[in-house]
Amino acid sequence: MTQKRLLPVIVMSFLLLALQTFAQQKSISGKVTDNTGAPVAGVTVTVKGTNLATQSAADGTYRLSVPENASTLVFSAVGFGTQEAGITGNEVNLSLASTSANLNEVVVVGYGTARKRDLTGAVASVKAKDFNQGVFNSPDQLIQGKVAGVQVQNNSGAPGGGSSISIRGITSIRSGNSPLIVVDGVPLAGGTTSPGNGTPLGGTPGDNPLNFINPSDIASMDVLKDASATAIFGSRGANGVIMITTKKGQTGAPKIEFSTSVGVSSLLKRIDVLDGDQYRSALKKYNQTSGDYGQNVDALDEILRTGFTQNYNFAVTGGNENGRYRVSAGYLNQEGIVKESGFKKYSANLTSSFKFTESKRLGLDFNLLTSNTATDLAPISNDAGFQGSLIGTALQWNPTHALRKANDSIWISDPALGQSTINPLALLAAHSDRTVVNTVLGSISPYFKLTSNLEVRMLYAANYQNGQRKSEIRNWLNLQGNNGFAQIINNTSLNQTLNYTLNWTPQLTKNINMSGVVGYEYLKFDNKGQGQTASRFIDYPGIAYYNIMGNAPPVDRSIYSYASPISELQSYFARATFNFGDRFLLTGTFRADGSTKFGANNKYGYFPSVAGAWNITNEGFLRNNKTLSNLKLRASWGQTGNQEFPAGASIKRVGIGQGANQVVQNFTNPDLKWETNTMTNVGIDFGFIDNRLTGSAEWFQRNTEDPIFARDVVAPGPAAGQVWSNLPATVANSGFEFSLNYGLIRNSNMQWNIGGNIAFLKNEIKDLNGAYETGALSGQGISGATSQRMVSGQPLNVYYLRQFEGIDKTTGQSQYTDDGNTLFYSGSPNPKRIYGITSDFTYNKFFAIMNMNGAAGQLLYNNTANSVLVIGNIGTRNISQALFDGGGVESAANPIAPSTRYLEKGDYLKLANLTVGYRLGSLGKAFKNVTVSLTGQNLFVITKFSGFDPEVNVDKSINGIPSRGIEYIPYPSARTVLLGINFGL
Amino acid sequence: MKYIKILTALVGASVLSFSCTKLDEKLRDSLQDESSTVNAAGLLQSAYEAMNTPLMDQSRVWAAQEHTSDEALGPTRGPDWDDNGVWRVLHAHTWNADHAFLRDTYRELLQVQFAATSVLNRNPTGDQRAQARFIRALSTYYVLDMWDQVPYRTDLSDYGKLPLTIKGSAAADTIISELNAVIAEASLANANVIKASKDGAKALLMKVYLNRGVYAKRDAPTFAPADMDKVISLADEIINSGRYSINPSYFQTFAADNSIANKEIIYSLENTVGVRGGNNRFYWFCTLHYNQKPSGWNGFTTLADFYDKFEASDLRRSQAYPGVTNVTGLRVGLLEGQQFDQNGTVLKDRKANNLAFTRKVALKESGNDLEITGIRVVKYPPDFAKGIDGNAENELVLFRYADVLLMKAEALLRKGSAAAALTIVNNLRSVRGATPLGALTTDNLLAERGREFYWEGWRRNDMIRFGKFLDPLPAGAGTTSTRSTKSGTERLLFAIPNQQLSVNPNLEQNPGYQ
Repeated sequence: MTQKRLLPVIVMSFLLLALQTFAQQKSISGKVTDNTGAPVAGVTVTVKGTNLATQSAADGTYRLSVPENASTLVFSAVGFGTQEAGITGNEVNLSLASTSANLNEVVVVGYGTARKRDLTGAVASVKAKDFNQGVFNSPDQLIQGKVAGVQVQNNSGAPGGGSSISIRGITSIRSGNSPLIVVDGVPLAGGTTSPGNGTPLGGTPGDNPLNFINPSDIASMDVLKDASATAIFGSRGANGVIMITTKKGQTGAPKIEFSTSVGVSSLLKRIDVLDGDQYRSALKKYNQTSGDYGQNVDALDEILRTGFTQNYNFAVTGGNENGRYRVSAGYLNQEGIVKESGFKKYSANLTSSFKFTESKRLGLDFNLLTSNTATDLAPISNDAGFQGSLIGTALQWNPTHALRKANDSIWISDPALGQSTINPLALLAAHSDRTVVNTVLGSISPYFKLTSNLEVRMLYAANYQNGQRKSEIRNWLNLQGNNGFAQIINNTSLNQTLNYTLNWTPQLTKNINMSGVVGYEYLKFDNKGQGQTASRFIDYPGIAYYNIMGNAPPVDRSIYSYASPISELQSYFARATFNFGDRFLLTGTFRADGSTKFGANNKYGYFPSVAGAWNITNEGFLRNNKTLSNLKLRASWGQTGNQEFPAGASIKRVGIGQGANQVVQNFTNPDLKWETNTMTNVGIDFGFIDNRLTGSAEWFQRNTEDPIFARDVVAPGPAAGQVWSNLPATVANSGFEFSLNYGLIRNSNMQWNIGGNIAFLKNEIKDLNGAYETGALSGQGISGATSQRMVSGQPLNVYYLRQFEGIDKTTGQSQYTDDGNTLFYSGSPNPKRIYGITSDFTYNKFFAIMNMNGAAGQLLYNNTANSVLVIGNIGTRNISQALFDGGGVESAANPIAPSTRYLEKGDYLKLANLTVGYRLGSLGKAFKNVTVSLTGQNLFVITKFSGFDPEVNVDKSINGIPSRGIEYIPYPSARTVLLGINFGL
Repeated sequence: MKYIKILTALVGASVLSFSCTKLDEKLRDSLQDESSTVNAAGLLQSAYEAMNTPLMDQSRVWAAQEHTSDEALGPTRGPDWDDNGVWRVLHAHTWNADHAFLRDTYRELLQVQFAATSVLNRNPTGDQRAQARFIRALSTYYVLDMWDQVPYRTDLSDYGKLPLTIKGSAAADTIISELNAVIAEASLANANVIKASKDGAKALLMKVYLNRGVYAKRDAPTFAPADMDKVISLADEIINSGRYSINPSYFQTFAADNSIANKEIIYSLENTVGVRGGNNRFYWFCTLHYNQKPSGWNGFTTLADFYDKFEASDLRRSQAYPGVTNVTGLRVGLLEGQQFDQNGTVLKDRKANNLAFTRKVALKESGNDLEITGIRVVKYPPDFAKGIDGNAENELVLFRYADVLLMKAEALLRKGSAAAALTIVNNLRSVRGATPLGALTTDNLLAERGREFYWEGWRRNDMIRFGKFLDPLPAGAGTTSTRSTKSGTERLLFAIPNQQLSVNPNLEQNPGYQ
C-alpha cells in the first residue's frame, strides 16, 4: 500500500510523468489501443519484475528500454485492467480490454475522486466508451439503461424534448424528483430558461435542461446513488447525483479529432386508426349516412416526414507537463419527424489545466462550455382541448376527406366537416414557435499543494443562460376564439458557485491511510424574465406576428415581468475515509446547508452519513483464491435533503398587479425546511476468474420525511392561497439492484463482453392526511377529470378510477362497478422493474455494440384513446383501429368516462441502439484512426402499449403535483439510422 | 512564492466579495406583508377581482344555482360532456361531498371573504371599508345560501388558527349587521353599477331578509312580517331614489354595452378589456353549437317545460338582437328549432343533421341527434367586438331593478297584500310584452321570476324559498322528465366539501351527507 495510490488521478498521472526511464540494452516500442482501436494515452508500461516503466503518449505509442532478458510487459491504466504481454521482437502492440468494473478505475465523487476499490457507497461510473451510441441532444440519454436503478425516460419524442431522470425511484410528492447534476465540480441549478409558457393550443412540453451540454464532450458520468455518496451534497442530494466530467486535454503534440454522423429518422410506431376504406365500412356498420367524402387519406403521414440529422464534432487537444488543453466545437442539426420541428445546437468548449512553478505545486483548471440551441416546436401541447393539437387533429382527421382542395391549397374550415374541425396541415402552416437558448458555463479553479498530501483548491463558476421564445398562430386558423396570437418570452438565469476545499491524504500509521476533505460552498441563483403576448393581428403574409407586436390593439396586448428572490445556499462540508490495510474502509461525511429559501426557524439543515466496507479478497484466506478475484461488502446510512421549492415560499408575500392592485400570494411559514431523505444501503461487489465475471448487488431503503407541499390554507384563504409546509408523511422506497458483466470471449483478436442490470423498486406513501389529485385528463368530454392521487397506503401517483367491466352487449354502453359511482385504486404508473442489457463485441477491426433498456410492471393511461379516438367520432372524425376490430358492440353514443378501460400495460424492451463498425486504421499519412460505423437508435420496441411509445410521460400535473405515465397525443418517437465517420489528424 | 501571494489575493478577494451571508431572502417583484406599501386600495381591487372566479364561470355558483333547478341542465352528448358526470349529478340531485366544482366554488367564495377582510386590516378609508364589507357580505351570503356553514376568519395574522364557523340565522344576522354598517357609511356612493354602493347593499339586504326564514328552516320556511316589511321599505328606498327604471330592451341589460345608459342595473361585475374582467363569455360558449357563430361547446340547454312557461309575445323568450342576429343569424333568448345564418341559410350539425334544437333532451344523449337536442339559451348577447376571441365586455349582472320590484311584490304577497303585488308584477309584464296576470299566487310569482331572471344564477335560491326545489321536474309536452323523483331534504344544502372537512374541525358535514 503506497500513499501514491490514494492520490487523485490528476496528481498521479503527473507523478508518473516525472518518472525517468533508465538506460538499457534493448528498445521496445509499440502502440496501446482500446477495444475501439482508439489510442490510449497515459498507460503505464512496466517491465514485469522491475520498476522500469514508461507511459504511452497521446497517440498511444510508447518506447521503453528493457533488459535483454526481459520477457513480459505489464500494461496498466486508469479505466482499464492490468494486462500482460510477452516480448517478442522489438514491437509490442496491445489492445487493452476494458472491464467496466475494474478496481483501479477512478470515479468522480463529491468534491474529489476515489478509486472504485476504495468506495464505500453505491456509485456507478459510466465511461465514454460505454455510453449509448448515436446522436443525442443531451447527455442524460448516454446512460439510459446503463446503471441499475437509474431510469432516464424521454418524456416526448420531440428533438430537444425533456426527460425524467430518476435514481432509485421517486420520493417527492410535490418537490422535484430530478437528481442533482454536477458538471466538472459545478452543481447546476436544475432548471432551464427555455420558456415553458403555453399558447392558445395549451401547455407546451418542456425542454431538456441539459441540452446545453454536447454529449461528445463528456468523458464520464458517475451516478451517486446512496447516502454515503450523496450526503456531501446535503439539501440537494436526496434524488441522487450525476457527476458529469468533460473530456480533458492530453499531453503530447496537438492532435485533432473529428467525428461526424449523418442519418435519417422516421416514425418508430404508429397509433392505428382507420384508413378510408375501413372508415367507410365502419360508417355502414354504424348506419351513418354522412361522413364519407370518397377519399383515402392518411393525415398522420401528411404531417410526418423523414427527418435528416447531421452532427459534427471537432476537437483539438494537446499540452505538455506545464499545461494541457482541449478545444472542441460541435454542430448538431436534427430535423424532427414532425414537419416544421427540429433542434439545432452549436457548442464550443475549452478546458485547460496549467501547472506553475518549478515544483508544480500551483495549478489552475479552467473550463468553459458555451452553446446555442434552437428548438422549433411543433404545435403539440400537453392539455389540448376538444380541437386537439397537431397529433390529435391528424389522428382524428376523417380519412375519407382530402386535406387539400383540388387546386392543392389547404382546406381551412370545410363547412362539411364543421367549422370547428382543424386541418392538421393548416395548423402546421399557421403555427410557428421557436425557442433559442444561449448558455455559458465557465469555471476557474486554482489549487495549491501545501505539502505532498495537503491541497487547497478554490472553484468559482458562473452559469449564465438566456432563453427566448417567439411563437405565433396566424389569424386565419379556425381555432375557436383565434384572431391571431403572438408571444415573445425571455428568461434569464445567472447561477454562481464558489467553493473552497482542503484535501488531506495522510498515512496515519503503517496500515491506516486517510483521505479527507473539508470545504465551504456558496451558491447563488438568480432568475428573472419577461414576456409579451398579443392577439388580434392583421395578417401580412410573410410577416411574423411576433415581429409586429404593435399591430395588435393595446387592449389585446399583455406584458409581464418577474424577478424571483435571489436564492443563496451557504454550506460547510467534510468527508473522511479511513483505509485499514486495504481490508476495511470507513467513510463519514457531513454537510451543513443554509438556504435563503428555508423558514426563519430552520435556516440550516444538517446531513450526515457513515459507511463501511470490507474487501474480503484482501483477507489472507482469499488472497490466493483463483476463482474469486474480488469480493467486497458495503453498508451505508445517511441523510440527504430536497429543497426544490420556489424561492420566497416561506415568506408572506403580496403580489403587485395592474394599477393599484395588490393580492396576497403566499403565507409565511417560519418552519419551512427541506425534505429529509434517509437511506440505508447494503451492497456487495464481486468478481470471478480474474474479474472476467463481475457484478454487484444492492439493497436499499429510502424514507422521505417532511415532504414539502403547497397546501391550501383552511378556507377562507387567499386565492393563490398556499402555504408551503412540510407534511407529516413518509414516502417509502425500497429496492434491489443487480448488475452483471461477463467477458464471454477474451483473446487478442476477439473480445465479447455482455452485461445487464436490473432494479426492483417499491414505493409507498405513509401517514399522509387526505388525498391530493393529479394526473389531469384532457380532451372533449372529460374536462376537469383526474386520474391519479397521492394518498396514504398507495404508491405515488396511484391510479384512482372507475372500474370498467366491459361493454353491455345490448345497450352498447360501458359498464362500471357500482355504476361508476365509486372510484378504485387501480394500479401504479411507476415501473416495478427497470433494466438494461448491453453487448460489446470486437473482432479484429470489426466491432458491434448493442444497448437495450426496458421497464416492467407499470400501467400507462391512454388519454389519447380515452378522448381523441373515441367511438362517438364515427361520422365526423376518425376512431381507433381497436374499436373497429372490436366487432362494433360499442354504441356510438357511449359516454367516454375516464376508467380502467384506458389503462394499459406499459412493459417494454427497447433496442436503444445497435452499432456496427470497422476500424480502418490510418489512411495515408494524414488520417489516423479512421473508423466508420452504422448506428441504429430505437430500432424497435417490444410492447403491448397501443400508443406511440411506452416510454412516455406527458406533463399532466395539477397544482404542481407531478403526474406519471399518461399518454396524450404526444410528439411521436423516432427511429434513427446514422452513418458515422471518426478520424484524427 | 509570488504565486502563493497571487493565490492568496485571489482567494481573499473572492471571500470578500461573497463573504458569509445571513441568508435573508429579498423580494424583487412582490411586497413583504409587513411592507407599508401594502395598502387597502390595492387589496380592495384584488377583492373585486376575486369575485370573478366563483361568480363568472359556467362551473361555479352559476352551475350550482342553475343546473340544480328546473331551467338548466348539462346533458352528456355521447362522447362529449361526460366530464366525470359533474353536470349530470347537479341536475339529478345526486352530488356528493367530493364534487369538484362545488368544492372549488366553496373555496373560491371564501377566498373572496379573505380578500375583503385583508382590506379591513390595512387602515382603509370609510369608503374602502364599506366596499370591502359589502364584498365580504356578498361572499358570506352565497356560502350561507348553498352550504349553511360559513368559516369566518377575522384574524388574518396566523393561518394556523382555525376560522370560526357561523351558520344559519346567526350567519344571516351577521350579514344584516354588516350591510347596515355599509349603508350607514356616509362616504360610500349611493349608486355605482360596477362597485359596491348603498343601493347595492340594500338590494343584497333585501335578499337576506326575504330568505331569512329559509335560513332558519329550509325545509319549511316561514316568512316573518317584520322581515317582509324590511324588504318593502328597502325596495321603496331604491324605488324612491329615482335612479332606476326598467329597461324596455330586455336584452340590452345583458349586452356588451349594458353598463352604458342602462338604468336597470344596480350592481354588476365589471368586464372591461384591459382593466378588469372574467370569463363572462361562458354564457354563449356553454350553450351554442360548434357550427353556430359564435362557435360554442354545444353544451347546456333549458327544458321544454320551462320554455312553455312563456307566451309567444313575451319579449324575454326570444328576439332578434341588433348587432348579433343581422351579423350571424343568431337570435337571443331561448333558441328552439332550426337555426339559420344571417342569410337565412339552414345550419347543420357535424353529422349533417339540420341544426334544429329539439324540445326533448335527456341527461344522457345517445341518438344520432345527440348534437341538437335541447333548447339553447343566449341570455347575454355575444360581444362580437371583443368576446368571441377574448374577454367580453358584458358586465355580469348580480342585482337589477326588476329584482327589487319582484322582491317587493313577493314580500307584499307573503304579507297578504296580493293586489298591490299584482300591480307591480303586471307593470313589469307589460314592459316585457306579456299579458297581465289575473291574480298573483306564489306559483305564478315563482314562474314569473323564472321568466324574468332565467340563467341569472337565482333559480335554486328562488325554488327553495317557494318550496319547489325538491319536487320532480315536470315533463314538458312531448318530452320526458329529466328528474322524475322527489329529492331528499338534504339536497336543500350542498355537502360541505370533504377537502375542507378534513382540515377544519370547526365544520361538520351537513345532515344527510354523513
